[in-house]
Amino acid sequence: MVGLTASLSNLSRSDGSASYKCPATGYDLLGAVNAPIELPARRDALKPEEATVEVFVKPGNTTAGVGERYVEGILRSVLSKVVLGRERGFPRRGVVITLAIVGGETLDRGDSYLTILPALLHTSLLALLSAAVPLSMTFSATLVGVNKSGAIITDLSAADAKAAASLHVLAFSSKNHLLLNQSEGRFDFDTWEQVRDRALSICKDMTTPGPDGDIAMGDEADSSRPEGFVRETVEDRLYKDYSWKIDSI
Amino acid sequence: MASSSASTAAPAAPNSLSLPPSQFARLQPHAYLLAHLSPPSSSNQPSIRANGRAPSQFRVTSANAGSLTHTNGSAVVRLGDTTAVCGVRAEILHTDDIASWSVSQSTNANKRRRIGESEKETEAKDEEDRAHIEDLNLLVPNISLSTGCAPGFIPSAPPSALAQSLSHQILSLLHTSRLVQAEDLRIWYQPPNLGPEEAQQHNDEEQMDLDAGANEEETKPAEIKAFWVLYIDIMLISLAGNPFDAAWASVLAALRDTKLPKAWWDVDNESILCSDDVKESQKLSLRGLPISSSFCVFEADAAAGWRAVVIPDAEEQKVQDSKHGSQQQKWILADPDGYEEGLVQERVYLVVDKEEGKTVIVKMEKLGGWTVDSEDLRQLVDISAQRWDEMKRILDQC
Repeated sequence: MVGLTASLSNLSRSDGSASYKCPATGYDLLGAVNAPIELPARRDALKPEEATVEVFVKPGNTTAGVGERYVEGILRSVLSKVVLGRERGFPRRGVVITLAIVGGETLDRGDSYLTILPALLHTSLLALLSAAVPLSMTFSATLVGVNKSGAIITDLSAADAKAAASLHVLAFSSKNHLLLNQSEGRFDFDTWEQVRDRALSICKDMTTPGPDGDIAMGDEADSSRPEGFVRETVEDRLYKDYSWKIDSI
Repeated sequence: MASSSASTAAPAAPNSLSLPPSQFARLQPHAYLLAHLSPPSSSNQPSIRANGRAPSQFRVTSANAGSLTHTNGSAVVRLGDTTAVCGVRAEILHTDDIASWSVSQSTNANKRRRIGESEKETEAKDEEDRAHIEDLNLLVPNISLSTGCAPGFIPSAPPSALAQSLSHQILSLLHTSRLVQAEDLRIWYQPPNLGPEEAQQHNDEEQMDLDAGANEEETKPAEIKAFWVLYIDIMLISLAGNPFDAAWASVLAALRDTKLPKAWWDVDNESILCSDDVKESQKLSLRGLPISSSFCVFEADAAAGWRAVVIPDAEEQKVQDSKHGSQQQKWILADPDGYEEGLVQERVYLVVDKEEGKTVIVKMEKLGGWTVDSEDLRQLVDISAQRWDEMKRILDQC
């Protein structure tokens, strides 16, 4: 999770938007959020007291296929738990999130979606923040791999992910709940618990001794951790938006 | 509010306001299931689900293989009221019809030559197996829900988002578990050795004896002439919750039943011929037996999902849970039926296999909530391991 870059509110016509770049996997994403809007097909019969969260994922060079349907379902289940769909103005309306994969490795039919999932989650979170959609908590996600000799590897590239024995995507809320876990490949439960601890320490601003005994300092590592990264991106945008006010003081 | 009505409606039902249970189930589904799971302590009833099962109990499962005669392998799996039919049909894919075949073959051969060590050779072989199955798309699963299986799915409608994501899940599980071996799907051809050198050696018997070893090396390498492509079609003819378990079990049973006819390259016809003798056909040799089990999490407080202010930290929540002790906040229900699926958001999907008695997780998926963490998942892995034994018995019998 080194060198993530993101910016907010790039698009002028949507309520909120974010662009996000992950150098390790090479993915470049653009997300837009419109909320709350009237949906053409109202789903009163399903859950009238809540907003409907709709997610669309658009790959860069083809039309969306079955893999996109699947990842849309995952994103929807995570985001609809985080979005406060019962706030004023939201019930019976829709929160529509559109994510376009602008750059990076193309995913073929049947390919694992795990490499791109953290990027999709972060982009949608930033776009939701940009649109000022009420959220119960924020979250951060990471991709962790276990290689054939059983060592845990982070900051995976697409080639690393192909060679790994198992891949795990974990998302933690800002209150340390495990929001999402997606694991593929062959592994046992003890390995997964190690992966979970490692992922939590990546996502959170925690001081943990590394394998060589040195300690990552909290303040220094702030922007390299997804949690701190989301906060900094939003802070940057706020400084920019309120520069007229801040400068005048 | 659902939680308050649970406390008032449950004791009132037998007294003055009498509602038949079926009506109560429709009007207040959440309270109905909650009343079953947390009976009043005075009644001495065990905590049981509305469908009469214990929380970690799966539905009665039955499997039947080989019912469709026009397929290479087929199975019907019934999981309570959810029924899936799966048929596997094999078709031949000529390597001549693969656009990039000659290119990819020559680069692979170069790679093999460069890598001498045996350890790396197996790795390269694994990679080749993966490339053949995944890049050439030799496994094509498709799931169909538009059969009138449940009221929500209109027959002859385009595939719903659920059907599409299930198709993807089955395909990616077939790939990651590497269930089907690429070797079973290859049709080889061994070119006969008819070179001029060989003819010479036949004349000179002495030399042939001496160079027996060298002669073997000279035989032309066998080449792949075609592949079997497996079309795996699943139809859910009745859907009452948990479609993935039923679909995956039917795929597994159908693949175990699949027989491929003996096929060879006929030089004179320049085509693949298949033997119609059943005795010569071969079953697929599958890697392991990954069994899927799905769970859902039912929360006592129906409004837990949207009360923003009261969501405690993960650590605080643990302390709170231990304080509450007697008053359970959530139930993890195995193999949810359609009624339960409508009431939950958090789901756990596990696929486990056993190797020499040790449980190996092939896939673990948890989404839609924040109540389940490592302790619960560890228990669920144990439950899935028990389920594996049960399913193995059922699949072996069919």
